[in-house]
Amino acid sequence: MKAKSDFSDSELLRSMLAGDEEALALLYRRRQAGVFRFALQMCGSPAVAEDITQEVFMFLMRQGRAFDPTRGSVNAFLMGVARNYVLRRLYGEQFLIPLADDFEEDSVLEHSDADHGPLENLMRAETIETVRRAVLSLPERYREVVVLCELQDMSYVEAAEILGCAIGTIRSRLHRARALLVEKLKTEGEENTNAATVKSARCFA
Amino acid sequence: MNCQKFESIVGELARGRIIGADIRQDALVHTGDCPRCALRFRNEDMLTRALQMLALETESAQAPNRIEGHLLQAFREQKLLQPVYLVNGRLRYWVSAAAAVLLIVASVIAIRWRTERPVAQPATFAVGHTEGRVPEKLPVAIDRLRGPTDNVVKYLPTSRKPGRRSESFVAKARSTETQKKANGVAANNVTGEIATEFMPLGYLNAANLQDGGQMVRVALPRSAMASFGLPVNMDRYNETVKADVLLGVDGVAHAIRFVQ
Repeated sequence: MKAKSDFSDSELLRSMLAGDEEALALLYRRRQAGVFRFALQMCGSPAVAEDITQEVFMFLMRQGRAFDPTRGSVNAFLMGVARNYVLRRLYGEQFLIPLADDFEEDSVLEHSDADHGPLENLMRAETIETVRRAVLSLPERYREVVVLCELQDMSYVEAAEILGCAIGTIRSRLHRARALLVEKLKTEGEENTNAATVKSARCFA
Repeated sequence: MNCQKFESIVGELARGRIIGADIRQDALVHTGDCPRCALRFRNEDMLTRALQMLALETESAQAPNRIEGHLLQAFREQKLLQPVYLVNGRLRYWVSAAAAVLLIVASVIAIRWRTERPVAQPATFAVGHTEGRVPEKLPVAIDRLRGPTDNVVKYLPTSRKPGRRSESFVAKARSTETQKKANGVAANNVTGEIATEFMPLGYLNAANLQDGGQMVRVALPRSAMASFGLPVNMDRYNETVKADVLLGVDGVAHAIRFVQ
């Protein structure tokens, strides 16, 4: 008899629905990071991402029987539920979503200190923040494709399963999203350059 | 390779996704020939690197441990209700079905009861009205019955006293039964009263009576019968005749019948 840690997601879900608490814990530990990251990258707020992660697994506890293995994996099911909660938040509570967060800044510093020099760290942090802002400013249908395919490194097939659309749609949305991101980053870069020019002019005046 | 073809694969090229080696080679050669596509490729490449940095940044992000604690606690609480949840699917289905059936049955009964009530009411009201209690002078013109309730005369309180019914009316009813039917007149065997069919006062919509109504016994001059095309004995022209007026819930008189 194999250990529970070797169970597939579907088996864990079945055990969980039969009342096995350990199965829930294992399934949660296995899948929570993906759900949390997706929510975080979509909303930009760790607090909202925490709420959504909790709501997704609460939903799984209550409505886990709605999962149909013929329609996709448990992970895709969880991400689909997470997506619904994220979209609900984005539409309903936009004022609660900050663009930047202390949590992120801390983690940036933690990560960057270990690998690079101070100037490089600063530039890297700036680049990450710029890209994060650009991703968060994308329309939802483009943002979710970027998050899944670029940030979560999922294949087109997996993304299509989660978003419930054709692979061609994912491909075209991603293409469009990348073009938008390039435009946004270019615009932001030009604004920064202009700002620097103005500052210099004042200094010399 | 032309610019259009290059545009369609530039994303895949910059992301390092698997594409054919020859296509990749063609695309790279094209960037050497076309400055615009070379710039496009550089932008895409920079974007890919920036996104990779962001992905790396959030790679280790995960939900705090307290959420797992909350979930496990909620799971334990839910387990206490497990009997309900175990049969959740089927039980909910059957409970919903039973509730729907009950609702339909209740609705049908309610509709029937409401539609039958106007029929039952005349018997209730008509039964106990005694001729002795009818005021002698209630000269209400039939036109006034077409207005709201305050125009519609008096209500006679009912008291069931069948012994005091008028024998003369019963005798008349027996003797001229065929004639009565021809005139649309109905006999009430319980009270001995003879009544005409209800005649609408103005526009009568059956839907107006669905919400119930009230039957009011009034006394009218016999001349009012002529207004409805009923024969009037000119010798008794000045006498009064009883009539049942059917009032809607809005207080408007909808129909009238004459009673002997």
